[in-house]
Amino acid sequence: MKADKMYFAGVDIGSTMTKVVIQDENDSILASIIGPTGAEHRRLAYQVMKDALNKAGLRFDEIELVVATGYGRFNVPFADRQITEISCHARGVSHLFPTARTVIDIGGQDSKGIKIRDGRVEDFIMNDKCAAGTGRFLEITAEALGVKVEEIGELSLKARHNVKISSTCTVFAGQEVVTRLSEGLALEDILAGVHDAIADRIWGMVQRIRVEKDVVITGGGAKNIGLVRALERKWGYPALLPPEPLITGAIGAAVIARELAIKALTEKRVLKKERTLKELALFSEEAS
Amino acid sequence: MRQKPLYIGIDVGSFSTKAVLLANNTILASSLSLSGGNYNKAVQYTINKIEKKAKVSFNEVSAIGVTGCGAETVAFASYKISEISAQGKGVNFFFPTVRTVIDLGGRATTVIRIDEEGKALDFVVSEKCAAGSGRFLEILANVLRVKLEDLGPLSLKAKEAVKFTTGCAVFAESEAISRVAEGTAKESVVAGVHKALAAKIHSLVERVGVELDYAFTSGGAKDIGLVACLQEELGVPLLVPPEPQLTGAIGAALFAREKVGMNKNEPVVRER
Repeated sequence: MKADKMYFAGVDIGSTMTKVVIQDENDSILASIIGPTGAEHRRLAYQVMKDALNKAGLRFDEIELVVATGYGRFNVPFADRQITEISCHARGVSHLFPTARTVIDIGGQDSKGIKIRDGRVEDFIMNDKCAAGTGRFLEITAEALGVKVEEIGELSLKARHNVKISSTCTVFAGQEVVTRLSEGLALEDILAGVHDAIADRIWGMVQRIRVEKDVVITGGGAKNIGLVRALERKWGYPALLPPEPLITGAIGAAVIARELAIKALTEKRVLKKERTLKELALFSEEAS
Repeated sequence: MRQKPLYIGIDVGSFSTKAVLLANNTILASSLSLSGGNYNKAVQYTINKIEKKAKVSFNEVSAIGVTGCGAETVAFASYKISEISAQGKGVNFFFPTVRTVIDLGGRATTVIRIDEEGKALDFVVSEKCAAGSGRFLEILANVLRVKLEDLGPLSLKAKEAVKFTTGCAVFAESEAISRVAEGTAKESVVAGVHKALAAKIHSLVERVGVELDYAFTSGGAKDIGLVACLQEELGVPLLVPPEPQLTGAIGAALFAREKVGMNKNEPVVRER
């Protein structure tokens, strides 16, 4: 490693997955790690960060700045800054796709639409109130049908007819698909209907911020080709997909970390906090 | 000597199927079974039970009224009646003073405004979201590993109610699991769900502009914790029929009787 190199980390704690990206001053990815979030954020953020450092061959004190994002961003004790996931997503997507105007992020427990202009957030809309329109809808219907959620997208593309799913609610849709299956309808056809139903829901939401070209789909939903195709039918042209759709938020956080650090350096300010990377016990001895 | 004429009312619901046998103004027999996704089987089962209990044969029955979301599957029905009208009539049979019916079923919550004869004047249904229906209670019972019928007594024991941050049954399920994992008492979690449900029902009640007295029916009314919570939320007493799940079926039987009274000469019971 060259001594004059600088390194930045982005940590994105989502509802289901924790993502860490380490980049250099040219925004090249040195390491990226994805792990399940679980109930204990702090421990997991520590573990995933450690794995990423090992992969990049770096020590923690070599990281110039750590930016945390995602709904669990305040549970990252070793972060220097917390930035909202909307800003980080927008920044990450603009970095990967400079022509992007609309980001549709489909996560495990929420979905959002972000409008970007000149790399900045112009508008956004979000649903974390109702499971319909989020990854949970796909998880629950897949489970009800007895297929793996990773497989439903491909399967849905083999459909000959689309079965209309009339329930909006995830709970009721879970029952409805089982009824359709017991009526003898083809699994692929039902799955096509499931993807249409979630696409309808997401489309209904993102239309309110006016979808414009180019559209980038991120989050776990971008890994489901059935959902991507169903959404593309809504606006009529192909969407852009990041090589790893789960880490755009973490990439954005790392890019923002680099921008903040460079800006601070030119202004001769120090952003890096006194911090160590250690496992945090839930009940530490100091606390008792 | 057998009382005549006899009428059967069947309420084919998403969660359970109910049947009653009516003569004059008396319920001679009733039966309830889980629908279990097969309406035909559930209907056969409840009718057979009624035949056995009352020692009557199906052929002695003058007319059969059917209601509920599975009503279409009952081929031998003499008359079909909407769930709204059936509930109104059924409640009026027990409580002539009731003008507002709150019905919390397995899949939908309905608030009905009725007149002194039990005729529906106005109603509002919430059926789009599981968080406003009995399904929410089923999900919760399942997560907490308690029986559905034990939710009420548990809730009454609660010292405090958990405040849910979500209005979605799916997310509330995860939240309930987290709270219990953190050591929150099951009682408080149940009370929290009852509170959330009562608030949802309250907003529904406000939309039909209601009048005293109030009745509470269907499966939800069997949950004494929810009844208590809803009374507190609405600030009015709730009248609960002796068998709150049967009011729909009773309404259907009453409807069949009315119809027969109107067309005296027509044969009404069809081939089974």
